[in-house]
Amino acid sequence: MTIATTGQVFTRVLKLGALLIAAIAVLGGAIGYAVAGQNGLVSALIGSGLALLFVSMTALSVQLGAKLPLAGFFGVVMGGWLLKLVGFIITMALLKSADFINGPVLFFTIVASVLGALAIDAVVVMRSRIPTYQK
Amino acid sequence: MDVNNTAALVGNLAVVGYGLAAVGPGIGVGLVVSKTIESIARQPELAARLQVTMWLGIAFTEALALIGLATPFIFPAA
Repeated sequence: MTIATTGQVFTRVLKLGALLIAAIAVLGGAIGYAVAGQNGLVSALIGSGLALLFVSMTALSVQLGAKLPLAGFFGVVMGGWLLKLVGFIITMALLKSADFINGPVLFFTIVASVLGALAIDAVVVMRSRIPTYQK
Repeated sequence: MDVNNTAALVGNLAVVGYGLAAVGPGIGVGLVVSKTIESIARQPELAARLQVTMWLGIAFTEALALIGLATPFIFPAA
């Protein structure tokens, strides 16, 4: 499928990213359950869910911001990024003291989801043909 | 005042880790965005392409932040 607009790039990235992270959640959940029981399963699901949320927020902010004038675009993208980072720090700090979390399982599902989503981003952008001018 | 203890660190070292995990990607994303603004100012007709390239740059840089901020789960506090 040839991608012709930036909107299509982000729609495709979000869809494929969600599919991949769902697969990582299932696989990670199975491994987590085998390694650490119920806590491992919960940690894998929370890790992949957080990764999906925080990875797709950037794509969504760029997609929404592209409809605004330039200052609005950077406002939405950078503001979204700031909120996301603060939100992630707070979430990590809260989860750190939670007793239903298995640390390594959570960490490795987050890392696998983030890196997998990055690979999908790169492949989709490389395969897309974005016209120089679009309105 | 005890002179020997003036250099002692008090508090949670993990806070320094959180700070470092935010500073690096913050500088990286700042560079990506500033260069995109420069490029769009030079060639506004390329804005759509540059925005996608910028997003890819931000995605790679912020991966470092997300992984860095999750490290307390694998390196437990001493």
